[in-house]
Amino acid sequence: MPGLPVLKVFVGAATGATAAMIAMALYRAREPVPQDVVFSKGYAVRRFWLALVLAVAVAAFVISIPRFPYPSVTATKHTYTIVAQQYSFTLPATVPADTPVVFAVTSRDVNHGFGIYDPQNRLVGQVQAMPDYVNRLPFEFHLRGRYTVRCLEYCGLGHAAMQESFEVR
Amino acid sequence: MWLYLGTGLAIFFLMVVIGIVLRAEQAGWIPLDQGWFYALLSLHGIGMITAIAIAGLGTLWYFVYREIALDARIAYIAYGFFAAGVICVVVSVIPGEYGALWTMLYPLPFVGTYWPSWATGVWLVGNILVMIGFVVWCMQVLAGLLARYGGLRGVLGIDYVFHNHEFAEQHREPPPPQMFAAAITAIDGIISSSLGMTYGVAMIVHWLDPSVAINPLWAKNLIYQFGHTFANLTIYIAVAGLYVGLALCTKRKYHTSIPLVIGWWGTLLFVILAYFHHLYMDFVQPQVLQYIGEISSYLAAVPVVVVTVFSGILLVHRSGLKWGLGAMFLYAGMMGWVAGGIAAVLDATIPVNFDLHNTLWVPGHFHTYLLEGVLLFIIGWLFVSLEQRSGALSPLIVRWLAGVGIFGGGALFLLSFYIAGAQGVPRRYAVEPAPGPQMANFATVGALILLTGLMVVAVEAFRLRRLPESAELG
Repeated sequence: MPGLPVLKVFVGAATGATAAMIAMALYRAREPVPQDVVFSKGYAVRRFWLALVLAVAVAAFVISIPRFPYPSVTATKHTYTIVAQQYSFTLPATVPADTPVVFAVTSRDVNHGFGIYDPQNRLVGQVQAMPDYVNRLPFEFHLRGRYTVRCLEYCGLGHAAMQESFEVR
Repeated sequence: MWLYLGTGLAIFFLMVVIGIVLRAEQAGWIPLDQGWFYALLSLHGIGMITAIAIAGLGTLWYFVYREIALDARIAYIAYGFFAAGVICVVVSVIPGEYGALWTMLYPLPFVGTYWPSWATGVWLVGNILVMIGFVVWCMQVLAGLLARYGGLRGVLGIDYVFHNHEFAEQHREPPPPQMFAAAITAIDGIISSSLGMTYGVAMIVHWLDPSVAINPLWAKNLIYQFGHTFANLTIYIAVAGLYVGLALCTKRKYHTSIPLVIGWWGTLLFVILAYFHHLYMDFVQPQVLQYIGEISSYLAAVPVVVVTVFSGILLVHRSGLKWGLGAMFLYAGMMGWVAGGIAAVLDATIPVNFDLHNTLWVPGHFHTYLLEGVLLFIIGWLFVSLEQRSGALSPLIVRWLAGVGIFGGGALFLLSFYIAGAQGVPRRYAVEPAPGPQMANFATVGALILLTGLMVVAVEAFRLRRLPESAELG
């Protein structure tokens, strides 16, 4: 899921929550009432609030499951082995568009992060590159052009410069 | 309490300065060797968490001490371990230039390093010493709670929840809310420190004998379990100040209830399990653990928004409280906790994490928790106790200056993380791709405003401290 819609959701929700809490603090603040008056009404509201929070949590969990990026197959016709090391990636020169591919990602030394940025510099997917393990990332590219791979797991002095690219056509 | 609080806040201030240096470097304001960038980032990360933990543990110990006779000598011993650990960590960075960050993800601290091997060893020893100090603290507090409230059944409120009528008939009282904060901190602290210690010792063994290998996936699980839990616990440590402080400010009672107890049971469990969200992008991790990570991360938020924050709002609503800096910071801390929590829950959703993992969104959410949540609970309690002692509130101009600095500067500083992270700017880059440096400009300005606000707060704290004690004490 792209980052900018998530940013909008966050700013909206955080602003709304903050405004609601400020409103609750200021509403009729000059007319104090005993604690039990406030709490008895509050506890009645809380039952619904709890039900709503749990419903949102469960719904979000259920909706997210089909969108998990984890592979269900171990290999396809287009499986590319990606090897990360301090401070470079071994990548294919080109990857076909509109075709399911799998990146089999590993590391020769320390943990790295295989982060894929599209031609518009948007982060579109990632997976960890671990020594002794192979992480399989299924992907399908639709936008043709030059993609950049950046390291997304701190790996030492050259971490920020660890970058390669490949073409999708 | 003052020794822990003073030490913690002093280290915190130094870490703020280091943090501003790092953001200024990323903005291109000041030149800094990349090796030193990562070394200072290592110190900043571990230093901030340790500082805020020390400050919070001091206040929480004091709340427990008010109800239970704890031996102060044990607290001093724990402090000694903390101090020794902090000194080792500082030495490993200055002059050691250790730069593998707090995560020290095996095998990084040993492969392709630009710092000497001794710095790695001293860093590891320092971290282990801090862990030992924490375990000493946890053991003392838990032992005191178990003795006072009749074992785990009493400490965790099990009898209170499941045998409530008999409880009331026997005129028994459950532990007050701050004791649940202490109990869950102690129990989860011992569990996660055991796992962290396992990792620390394994790393020391490898440092001494590189032929002894560590499984990288186990290494990640252990360090993230300890690190996530320790950082998360700082919030629950500080929340005790919210319980006690808001009750004093509002002159209302923050009492234990069945929902509060059940909420803390949820915290006890889900804080331990939520750490799996750090390994979402390790596809070799068993998938069931990814599912557990996501649902636990969601459910960890439920006690926060349904019990603690909800009750905090009710406590303040139409209470007639006077808004000194104490009440202001405690209430604002809840808002920061909620805001940081929204960002965290979004990132804890796996399809979203696919695009935000290891971007600047991550430091965005935990800086929100720490600067506008935990820190505010701690200094909120500090000001409540100073205000209660002196009977005085801060002048309006001071409250405005502090507010603009901490909330205005803080918002600018934090938004730059979120905006950059949403656009895929990676975290932990000494030189960031666009729009990282542009956002870092705003972040540095925001951080300087925030620091100014903190200095106003510090001066005001010392001023209130010098006032004579009021005849009417809270």
